[in-house]
Amino acid sequence: MTDQVQIKIKRENSLEEDNPSFFWIKSEGQQKLATENLVPGNQVYKEKLIIKKGIEYRLWDPFRSKLAAAIMNELEYFPFENKTKVLYLGASTGTTVSHISDIVGPSGIVFAVEHASRVARDFLDRVAAYRKNIMPILQDARRPKEYFSVFGKVDVVYVDIAQPDQTEIAIDNCEMFLKKGGYFFLVIKTRSIDVTKSPKKIVEEETQKLQSRFEVLQSIDLHPYDKDHAIVIAKFRG
Amino acid sequence: MYSVILTELGISVFDDEKLEKAFSFSNPVKEYLLVKNKESKLNELINYLISIQRGVSVSDESLLAILKKNNIDSQIMEDSELERIQASKPQIIVDSGFASNPQDALGKLRDFALGLSSSKVTEVSESPDLHIIQAINSLDEIDKIANALSSRLREWYGLHFPELDNVIDSINGYAQIVMAGKRESLTKQVFEDAGFPESKVEMLSLISTKSRGGDISDVNLAIVQSIAKQILDFHDLRKKLEEHVESEMETIAPNLSAILGTAVGARILGRAGSLKRLASLPASTIQVLGAEKALFRSLKTGSQPPKHGLLFQHAMVHAAPRWQRGKIARAIAAKAVIAARVDVYGEGLNNTLLEKLNVRVDEIGKKYENPTEKDIRRPESFRRDGGNFRDRGGRRDDRGGRRDDRGGRRDDRGGRRDDRGGRRDDRGGRRDDRGGRRDDRGGRRDDRGGRRDDRGGRRDDRGGRRDDRPSSNKNKKRKQFGRR
Ligand SMILES: C[S@@+](CC[C@H](N)C(=O)[O-])C[C@H]1O[C@@H](n2cnc3c(N)ncnc32)[C@H](O)[C@@H]1O
Repeated sequence: MTDQVQIKIKRENSLEEDNPSFFWIKSEGQQKLATENLVPGNQVYKEKLIIKKGIEYRLWDPFRSKLAAAIMNELEYFPFENKTKVLYLGASTGTTVSHISDIVGPSGIVFAVEHASRVARDFLDRVAAYRKNIMPILQDARRPKEYFSVFGKVDVVYVDIAQPDQTEIAIDNCEMFLKKGGYFFLVIKTRSIDVTKSPKKIVEEETQKLQSRFEVLQSIDLHPYDKDHAIVIAKFRG
Repeated sequence: MYSVILTELGISVFDDEKLEKAFSFSNPVKEYLLVKNKESKLNELINYLISIQRGVSVSDESLLAILKKNNIDSQIMEDSELERIQASKPQIIVDSGFASNPQDALGKLRDFALGLSSSKVTEVSESPDLHIIQAINSLDEIDKIANALSSRLREWYGLHFPELDNVIDSINGYAQIVMAGKRESLTKQVFEDAGFPESKVEMLSLISTKSRGGDISDVNLAIVQSIAKQILDFHDLRKKLEEHVESEMETIAPNLSAILGTAVGARILGRAGSLKRLASLPASTIQVLGAEKALFRSLKTGSQPPKHGLLFQHAMVHAAPRWQRGKIARAIAAKAVIAARVDVYGEGLNNTLLEKLNVRVDEIGKKYENPTEKDIRRPESFRRDGGNFRDRGGRRDDRGGRRDDRGGRRDDRGGRRDDRGGRRDDRGGRRDDRGGRRDDRGGRRDDRGGRRDDRGGRRDDRGGRRDDRPSSNKNKKRKQFGRR
């Protein structure tokens, strides 16, 4: 199972080389990360659109999206592909959600939870309204039982909510909605948990909390794209 | 046993896997929420359930409550059953006839999700606390702009009539005089109209004849006057905002307003984000709202944690001796959370909160009447240097009078504290007063360093402490501000 999604990130991968999820595209003389735009012509965060061979791609900015930063920093597991079902906590204005939406395609689905109505407005207007594979859920991730319109189990739970108790919240959500053997991405904003501890220590402590239910696969420091952030990838034992 | 299942698109009654009856929503978002809020009547469903005379298991707590209210023999489903429903929701929707196929069901669920989210966003943007926050933030921004513009006005008109700057503290008063035109046209009437007391009018007309300022061309004067006009307009707008914040705060957060006052209350509300959030914060957080920087610094470096953030603006804290302020801020914060909770969940004004706070603050005042060794020794840990200070420092030196005043005012305020209730009645007068004070404060707040020197001075008056501070140093600092 693990092998299926384990990827080799070869920067020299060209567009022609078949990579179903994301692409390396030459732009301004550099290989840049991109996804195929699910809604051609639609920009989400002023990212560059590039058309190659009649297909439109959106550049995926690792300085704006932590998932892209993780790919840049040698992420080894990438369970997002065509038809994947994702529960995404902390959608914010939808930068990362939009790329995941590109990747999972029309038969995939992203349940995107966000509770701050100020950012949710942007998210709804600019992202969710155009992308039919996004189910916006304007609710508090602390109360997964009350989510509207979520159904079934998902393949991946992605959590980026910057809360001191985010790991606990995330685990509750996984228990309710993540399928056995599914993947869990946890963005750890180290400073939001405890400013006095060293970032490294915090990542270790948060990882500890996962041990009983998850198999921790990798943890990635997002530097230099993002300071004081890390992503932990784990697999749900169920 | 029959199962009654609530979906986003309607309510279905199943016997095992077999659909018995479906009641679809014509406006899903609205009707679903009505059920969730237990406000739905659901007559058709109820009549049907009565007619079949069977016990039912129900998928949703709110729906269960509605059925129970109608005396229908019902119970909540088991977890395993709920899980099964959650997993196969699109299929249930199809089976109930709410959608033609799973794809259609997904589309309809998504429409529901979009509609529901949008309605929530709209609802939230209508909530009055968010509007209060916008109003108080506008007010603070206006103060900043008006203060900056007024410095400019003083400097520019000061080329023509330099003496005026030292005599007139109030931004509004100064601008009104500028509107009257050149020095020559400043009659007693002008000063009276600007609302200055007789003694001041006399002095003003005297110095206007003896001024050593230069002439100012009509073109320049016209521009200076339009700046003054802007300042006066800002003043009016500010007043409106202030009244608006005050009445709104008293409507939506009467208890919080009683404890914090409407202005400080609104600022604290702004920091918290909403009344609900404020009500869920620990008192220790409220105590230091507005001092986040100092708080993080203290956590990181182990320096002294802040004792108060925005609460420093609270009359009780502000008026108290320095060593009591932390304790008083804590007492206020503790009552403020309770007040916010009463505002969110309870109803009406609860006077005992304020009474208890007054008792507590008096206690602190008595118990800690004198500073301890530590209080006296305490270094100035949050000194702020540099930055874009306004050129007020120098002026403050000349305001010896004002500083004495302050001592007086402070006592005053101490007194005011006891009769808070009454205070609110004679607001009109007080507010004007305050407007002035706050303008001053804007300035004072900007140049902390200066203010502290000032306070150092005040403190000298109080207990003769801080004499040891090299005064030459102080002066150097002031001059530096003055030049900026
Ligand atoms: C750091 S941002 C996420 C950025 C986003 N993941 C991206 O990469 O584009 C964190 C978001 O989580 C949201 N959030 C925080 N606590 C939450 C909760 N309890 N429930 C739902 N959303 C929450 C915040 O409102 C904020 O928009």
